[in-house]
Amino acid sequence: MKALTVPGTLDALDAIAEYTIAAAEAANLDPDTSYNLRLAIDELVTNIIQHGYKTADQTGTIRLQAILSDRALILTIEDKGVPYDPTQKSPPRDLHLPPEHRQMGGLGIYLAMKSVDRLIYERVGDRNRNIVMIERPAGLNYDWSEG
Amino acid sequence: MDITINKLQAVTVVELAGDLDANTASEVQQKVISLATPSSKILLDLHGVKYMSSAGLRMLLSLYRHVTANKGQVVLVGLAPQIYKTMSITGFLNFFTTCETLESGLAVLQQKS
Repeated sequence: MKALTVPGTLDALDAIAEYTIAAAEAANLDPDTSYNLRLAIDELVTNIIQHGYKTADQTGTIRLQAILSDRALILTIEDKGVPYDPTQKSPPRDLHLPPEHRQMGGLGIYLAMKSVDRLIYERVGDRNRNIVMIERPAGLNYDWSEG
Repeated sequence: MDITINKLQAVTVVELAGDLDANTASEVQQKVISLATPSSKILLDLHGVKYMSSAGLRMLLSLYRHVTANKGQVVLVGLAPQIYKTMSITGFLNFFTTCETLESGLAVLQQKS
């Protein structure tokens, strides 16, 4: 698919969701997997907008690129915000706690990590690159084995 | 995001329609938290919400805290299966009361007093 470049602001979330849903449709993902992909991309991008660009004291852009292969849908997110590796974030420790003892945030990256098959982070020059991978069902054999 | 607020006897029914993400959750948060007056009974109808990110969870946690601090009650109805799953893996179902339909949600709020 053609890449999408949007300003790193919350207004861009709709366009990002639209692009992600189109990629999921092109990959023929089932509704649950498609939802999970949208959630993961939304959380990663929201984190970039609210933290990556906020602390960098500048507005930058976010670039999304979907690549489809027989086996997987790969979505790459690139930004020029402060260096941040979401794969190094430890999972929240307060998920079992009652509401009065929970933190208000910190769930987005956790949900993103839980929602995709693989998340890879790279720092390339002045850019963060997050690579999200969703495995695709393997053609007709999948239907037979499931049926 | 469409927010519709109605009074049904003692219960304030808040109907949301649209996606709950970082772009829309803050507006919803402002509106619903102002409803958390002392002993308020709030029913949040999410039938029209097909997508919710962690920004929605943050709004829900904030609402829950305001409602319980004011000795009120809040019930969620009409959660899409994927939203139910998000709330489950983050532990939100441990403390939120959820119902499938508006009627069952109203019944829960009207029996507790």
